[in-house]
Amino acid sequence: MPLPVPDVPASRRLALDCRTILDHRVGKGVCGCCGALRPRYKRLVDNIFPEDPEDGLVKANMEKLTFYALSAPEKLDRIGAYLSERLSRDVARHRYGYVCIAMEALDQLLMACHCQSINLFVESFLKMVRKLLESDKPNLQILGTNSFVKFANIEEDTPSYHRSYDFFVSRFSEMCHSSYEDPDIRTKIRMAGIKGLQGVVRKTVNDELQANIWDPQHMDKIVPSLLFNLQSGEGVESRSPSEKEKESPVELTERCFRELLGRAAYGNIKNAVTPVLMHLDNHSLWEGKTFAVRCFKIIMYSIQSQHSHLVIQQLLGHLDANSKSSATVRAGIVEVLLEAAAIATSGSVGPTVLEVFNTLLRQLRLSVDYELTGSYDPGSSIGTKIIKTHGERQLQEAVIRTIGSFANTLPTYQRSEVMLFIMGKIPVPGVHPALASSGSGPEGTRMIQVMLLKSLVQVTAGFQTTNMLTALPSSFLEPLLSFSLTEDPEVRLLVIHILLSLIDRHDNRPKFSTISIISDISVLKLKVDKCSRQDNLFMKKHGQQLYRHIYLGCKEQSSGRQHYENLYNLLALLSMELANEEVVVDLIRLALALQDLALSTEESMPVYNRCAVHALAAAYLNLICQLTTVPAFCQHIHEVIEVRQKEAPFLLPEDVFIEVPKLPPSLEKMEGEVLFLQSKITEVLGGSGYNIDRLATPYIPQYTDDDRLSKRKSIGETISIQPEVESRNSPEKEERTPAEEITFETLKNAIVDSVGMEEQERERRRQVVEKFQKAPFEEIAAHCGARATLLQSKLNQIFEITIRPPPSPSGTISSGYGQTQSRSVPVYEMKFPDLCVY
Amino acid sequence: MSMEDYDYLFKIVLIGNAGVGKTCLVRRFTQGLFPPGQGATIGVDFMIKTVEIKGQKVKLQIWDTAGQERFRSITQSYYRSANALILTYDITCEDSFRCLPEWLKEIEQYANSQVVTILVGNKIDLAEKREVLRHRAQDFAESQSMVYLETSAKESDNVEKLFLSLAGELIREAKQNKLDNSDAAPTLGEGKSISYLGCCSIN
Ligand SMILES: Nc1nc2c(ncn2[C@@H]2O[C@H](COP(=O)(O)OP(=O)(O)OP(=O)(O)O)[C@@H](O)[C@H]2O)c(=O)[nH]1
Ligand SMILES: [Mg+2]
Repeated sequence: MPLPVPDVPASRRLALDCRTILDHRVGKGVCGCCGALRPRYKRLVDNIFPEDPEDGLVKANMEKLTFYALSAPEKLDRIGAYLSERLSRDVARHRYGYVCIAMEALDQLLMACHCQSINLFVESFLKMVRKLLESDKPNLQILGTNSFVKFANIEEDTPSYHRSYDFFVSRFSEMCHSSYEDPDIRTKIRMAGIKGLQGVVRKTVNDELQANIWDPQHMDKIVPSLLFNLQSGEGVESRSPSEKEKESPVELTERCFRELLGRAAYGNIKNAVTPVLMHLDNHSLWEGKTFAVRCFKIIMYSIQSQHSHLVIQQLLGHLDANSKSSATVRAGIVEVLLEAAAIATSGSVGPTVLEVFNTLLRQLRLSVDYELTGSYDPGSSIGTKIIKTHGERQLQEAVIRTIGSFANTLPTYQRSEVMLFIMGKIPVPGVHPALASSGSGPEGTRMIQVMLLKSLVQVTAGFQTTNMLTALPSSFLEPLLSFSLTEDPEVRLLVIHILLSLIDRHDNRPKFSTISIISDISVLKLKVDKCSRQDNLFMKKHGQQLYRHIYLGCKEQSSGRQHYENLYNLLALLSMELANEEVVVDLIRLALALQDLALSTEESMPVYNRCAVHALAAAYLNLICQLTTVPAFCQHIHEVIEVRQKEAPFLLPEDVFIEVPKLPPSLEKMEGEVLFLQSKITEVLGGSGYNIDRLATPYIPQYTDDDRLSKRKSIGETISIQPEVESRNSPEKEERTPAEEITFETLKNAIVDSVGMEEQERERRRQVVEKFQKAPFEEIAAHCGARATLLQSKLNQIFEITIRPPPSPSGTISSGYGQTQSRSVPVYEMKFPDLCVY
Repeated sequence: MSMEDYDYLFKIVLIGNAGVGKTCLVRRFTQGLFPPGQGATIGVDFMIKTVEIKGQKVKLQIWDTAGQERFRSITQSYYRSANALILTYDITCEDSFRCLPEWLKEIEQYANSQVVTILVGNKIDLAEKREVLRHRAQDFAESQSMVYLETSAKESDNVEKLFLSLAGELIREAKQNKLDNSDAAPTLGEGKSISYLGCCSIN
């Protein structure tokens, strides 16, 4: 080993400095620390220390030392070693003034020489930092940290393979938890710890050769330490103005946390987020929600947005792992998911859309089970924990809101897919018990039904589609409408809510949230677009089902004010969104049929319901007559309403849909001027070119055995109800038949006599429904998932074709559809809708 | 290349239920005092002490962890790099003894497989309040192949012995290790946690 050069006369110094090779001449083997002949670099180092440490670093001499180090960089490591040796000694002797000076010198040398190869010097430097960090003196710890931070900001040109930051991470993390008595000093130590961690991260994060800071052994220290400080700041009273200028520990921590997350590559997200989950678990921070939400807001805003689905997945996994934790914990995680989903950019749910919903729905079902069985473990008689119904309810609400929040991030076609997926999960009592909640019986099934419909309400809120046909396939609408036939008023109401969301595309819904007679609808500033071709097709296909749904809904004795208000809203929106002339005629017929229903004595409807139906019909006719702008029609409606106002106010919404309805004890037989007259309406509308024949035909919903079956809540039977049977006997049937036959012969080649066909169809539908009900969700889900893209492009193709066919009389085309719709489309065929006929 | 102030560096981590006296043991050993009104540890605490064993300087890095459950995630992250674990319970608290199997499970899960674990029953000065008989703990320790020691941080009983015998054991292990893989780097601790350097060897 070369030994230090003995001292040389001053005149030769410069020459030696420049010809550093001479330094390596062999000396006398004198041990440096014992000899009086001290090498030049040691003297230069010694000279930077003043007599009195209070005087601080001797600046002029420091310049000399720096100059020397720059001109003889290979000496740097020895300078470093010597400085550290002095520093160690001074630490041991408690000469802290000199310690600071030595550290300052090391810092300056580091800065001055950083562009050169300083690897060995860095080793000495870090040894010194470590030495300072080992001290139990706060100021030395802070001094060491500051130097480390300076070092961390230097880019080294040659990476160091063996350098370990283990101690630094351990110590800085420990400092982050400082419990030093004096609160000011404690804060300083903690902040130093945070800065130190930030330094380690900066130093190592982009250098693959160095210690992988993303390893759990480091992340599990760094992340909880940051969170601990983020959390400690909560609830701290406002600081004085002078302190506000300085960065608070919490602000510093948050900045550091953000920086860390922002640097995380795809593969590192998990290691960074896992300790967050653990910390929140250990500190019971899910329950309080706010801190957990705050953490994940920081995370979601800081990570690169294309990674956000990873965070969502971890949260979902954590939720599953906590399936048996208390409802407040689960609700906290769900709340965080909700917030995270709102921040995540669209598509952030990533490739696992249905998985997200599957997890949430599973949690919903579990919660219902817990609530009903009162135990986390249905097998055991004594639950290990007491289930709080209230908590479970809150969790359920949170899950439902979260489902909505996720759905909001999805593009329309995926939303439809999710709607279908949820629909497929709704249990139907007696028909598909496998899907019902386990062990909680019919009550559980009903609760899940309600929850899932509530979820659908969320998913459909704000849903906007230009193409109702693709967005709402029969496989969705039919089961949905079948629920409208249950006796359960809550379920029926939810169904109407869903329909309203789906149909309202111009935000007209709020304008009809209550029923009233509006004398001039221009005050509502309604937005109406002309019906598109798809809208017309949609109504051809589903109009009759919707009318029936409204009719039967009005007839239900358990329908209350909310039902009538929402049914009115539905009628209004149909008129606004989907009504061509034909639909308008049908809706007027429906309104008149409702009046007949309310008049009928066969149906043992209570007075309230009868008045409500009268009022609803009046309000609706008042709306539709103004929409048609046929003066004579308006006049008739207006006259009847005026008479009612005088003689029978209980037939108008203003007296019925109020807190305490003003009803007569019984309804006398009503006649004459208080009633809307079909003949009159037919006459006035006929004069304006409406289809008189159709208007003159009363609307009669088809009652079948199936209907009564459906009353027993069977989805299978209700779907097979022929929605438009009644039109078979109507006059326009003749006009339409030829077109139908052509369509059918060309494509299906399967015209049979109508009775046989009906039966055949019924059988087929039954099979379809069965298939739909019995296929496991996973199958449906997988099916949908895999085909989603394919399906979408296929549908696009198909609609491309249907949207621009050669111009043909719309009557012919739509009647073709009118017929096709009577063939219920099997679930699995929805991918190839009947539109293929074109 | 430059002077190290130690021959060996070992990392020792103290674990065990809250309130068993971990912090007091460390303070007694490193500072020679019994802190009045010692508060619960938050997260982790760090102390360093260099001792001399048979003329060799042994630097002990002592990580004193919080027993409170809420800090479990941060404390567990310190097990991994430990050369030795001092698993502490309180002889006047049956509960702290009953938790030992759980602690052993944690060690199994998070610590290095070569870690040296020693079982300590603290607070023997409170003999009249003893809830865990000595032989019971002794048997348990033996069944888990651990050394067992009883201490009093308050009366300074066996505290010095605890750390010094642990240091001695670690040196033995280190030497053994060095013999076993003479050309490999030291396996204990971080990078160069153990150094074998002459005292005055500049260059
Ligand atoms: N009589 C007696 N009391 C002790 C002894 N050691 C600790 N204590 C007391 O036990 C209590 C807890 O001691 P700590 O050292 O804080 O316990 P710990 O294990 O560090 O607790 P955590 O930091 O919460 O994990 C304090 O009130 C101490 O005074 C001892 O040897 N004898
Ligand atoms: Mg403690």
